[in-house]
Amino acid sequence: MSRDYDVCVIGSGAGGGPVAWTLAKAGFSVLVLEKGPWLREEDFYKDELACCRRAVYTPDLKDEQHVIEEGDDEGGWQATPTSVSGWNFWNGNMVGGASNLMSGYFHRLKPEDFRLLSEFGPIDGANVVDWPISYDELEPYYAKVERVVGVSGRVVEHPNAEPRSTPDFPYPPTREHAISGWIDQACKDLGYHPLPVPRAVLSRPDHGRHSCSYSGYCGSYGCATGAKGSARAALLNEVVAEGNCQIRPHAKVHRLVSDARGRIVEAEYFDADGKNRKVSAELFVVACQPIESARLLLFSRGPKYPRGLGNRFGQIGRNLVFSAGGAGHGYLVYDDLPEERTKQLREVGPFVNRALHDWYFIDDPDLAPKNRRIKGGMVEFLFGHPNPVARAEQSKWRDGELLWGLPLKRRLESWFLEDRRLDFEVFNDWLPTDNCFVTLDGNTRDRWGTPVSKVRIGFHPHDLEVGRYLVAKGENVLRKMGARFISSGVSGAPPQNLVSGGCRFGVDPKTSALDRDCRVHDVDNLYVTDGSFMPTGGSVPQTWTIYANAFRVADRLVARLGGSKEKPA
Amino acid sequence: MGIRQGKPQGKGTTALAEWKLALLSRRRFLLSLAGGSLLALFPLPRGSAAERQGDKETEVDTWGLLGAVQERLFPTELSAPGAREINALGYLRGMLEGNHLPQEDAQFILQGAGWLQALSLERTGKSFLMLNGDEQDTLLRQIEASEAGENWMSTVILYIFEALLTDPAYGGNPDGIGWRWLAHTPGFPRPPADKLFWRLG
Repeated sequence: MSRDYDVCVIGSGAGGGPVAWTLAKAGFSVLVLEKGPWLREEDFYKDELACCRRAVYTPDLKDEQHVIEEGDDEGGWQATPTSVSGWNFWNGNMVGGASNLMSGYFHRLKPEDFRLLSEFGPIDGANVVDWPISYDELEPYYAKVERVVGVSGRVVEHPNAEPRSTPDFPYPPTREHAISGWIDQACKDLGYHPLPVPRAVLSRPDHGRHSCSYSGYCGSYGCATGAKGSARAALLNEVVAEGNCQIRPHAKVHRLVSDARGRIVEAEYFDADGKNRKVSAELFVVACQPIESARLLLFSRGPKYPRGLGNRFGQIGRNLVFSAGGAGHGYLVYDDLPEERTKQLREVGPFVNRALHDWYFIDDPDLAPKNRRIKGGMVEFLFGHPNPVARAEQSKWRDGELLWGLPLKRRLESWFLEDRRLDFEVFNDWLPTDNCFVTLDGNTRDRWGTPVSKVRIGFHPHDLEVGRYLVAKGENVLRKMGARFISSGVSGAPPQNLVSGGCRFGVDPKTSALDRDCRVHDVDNLYVTDGSFMPTGGSVPQTWTIYANAFRVADRLVARLGGSKEKPA
Repeated sequence: MGIRQGKPQGKGTTALAEWKLALLSRRRFLLSLAGGSLLALFPLPRGSAAERQGDKETEVDTWGLLGAVQERLFPTELSAPGAREINALGYLRGMLEGNHLPQEDAQFILQGAGWLQALSLERTGKSFLMLNGDEQDTLLRQIEASEAGENWMSTVILYIFEALLTDPAYGGNPDGIGWRWLAHTPGFPRPPADKLFWRLG
């Protein structure tokens, strides 16, 4: 039977991009279906309204939303549609997905992250498991991401450095702000080991992309130079130009159609006009971010899959994880500093690029009384986001009172002119539990009439303990630097942009959704290559790992289709 | 808006952040009680001056009133731009009439203007626009005492901030006057007229 394409990839972000790139390069025909528009470099401006204040990169919540179940005070769960709460769980619906909008702070997982259960033992109430692959199996793909997507950085000696197959990064570090040196000094005085943070940002032009222009607006913004390693700029543009990959924007896949034998035969999608269309392929790859990937599988019932694709044992959507942790900040007051430093501090553009991995593993009797080493996390430093409307909005309340008139104006002057805010963010494992999962909501539908995802976002109290431990370290650094008005917080509310799990990979179909190649158990020609596969989320932003794993799976798909059709260069 | 995104949080003390969140969720609660529309939160009082009279003199000059409110909330000074200098009214009107505001906010702003005018007639017998600045402030302090009134003022301030600090291409912040006042360095490239946010995608 002839098929429209060899491979149909649903979702064009960090999970879908590497698959499209690899398969197209190997000579296979690839179609990428993307729900959002196809924005290009010439559509990205430093426009706070477009990036952050209107629903431009994400759907209007009245059209498409989620239902979020939060724990109430009495042990129950309170479901709230996001159109009511305003808590937006979309992360960037466009060609290239949320990787267009990431900050590109790139950290690898460490070998121990692949075997949390055997390394640190079980935790009551948490579904901690070892991964079915080791760090060594993923390492070549971390290295591939450095070259192909483009990661800049420099390797330094560090007690918790992960093993590497290459001596250093292919691109030198991005330009650093003077404050990076001040952070280094404070950390050294405290006996900490600051790490230069690798960035998925080109520090020199390559692959037909420009290098970073250091405009000072990176995270939450699309990149106008192509320096940021989005799946669009780094991967899709190239294979679209070469001819084997097609992208269909405004194509909202709502169902995968399976036949009586259980094979996926078609993806059904609504086009820009709301018309239902179908496309056939040999292999299907789902990469819509974990919440939406689980939703698509659950909704795609078929003759062999009465509970949804691969959901025979109820594993689809389970063990969703986020990044646990918190954040803090302090203010470096210009009047406290010598003139030279004030001048340096005011500079806008270069990056901070500093993190602490000193407590990625914690051996502290205060936290683990049984003298057991436990899994910790990391601290990352960054300037307060420069978006001015957001800054102003935060200034208008004082002790719960709304400021207006002249007091409001004096307050704005104080907030914008007197100091610069240095932030830190803490990342630790969001333990997988039975209280964090995706199902289909019975009441709420999207604008096409499909049930939306219902997401329960329960967390494990252990996450907060580890988070508080790390936050205290971040505060130590700010204090050492002479920052004022230091404050911090750790919360069980998930950062909706740092999400993984929901279709964990594993060996046993009864306890996992995907096999070690990220093929859906029970479904011969269906793969999931976004962050869904992660059984545990690690203690760093997940994007590098998602990219690396998608490249790994892509190689398996090429092998499955009989190997590359292109002659090796 | 760091790496870890999440629930919107206020700045300052944790207590403040929680207070703000509580306020937000209370507003949303009220909104859901009102059948999803904030319009229902601000009914004109039955038998109010506005309703009783209904003649031309008491009709609300909505834009005039909103401009006057903006100037009280963000007054002009010799040393710092106010609502007038940043074209806050033109900005708001352009956004609202172009349908570029969240619908809920647009309705809330317009309805609140009607509510303020009704209150002015009730309490002073005069249109809000006929009051002097001190009298206008007094009325604003009265509505500020109610949660809905404070939310309304806060929403009007949000769009004053947008006029102050978004790109001049959107009609506020002429020649970057707001950026200059607060020593803000904008990013580049800046949006050209044919790439304003509603023209993307």
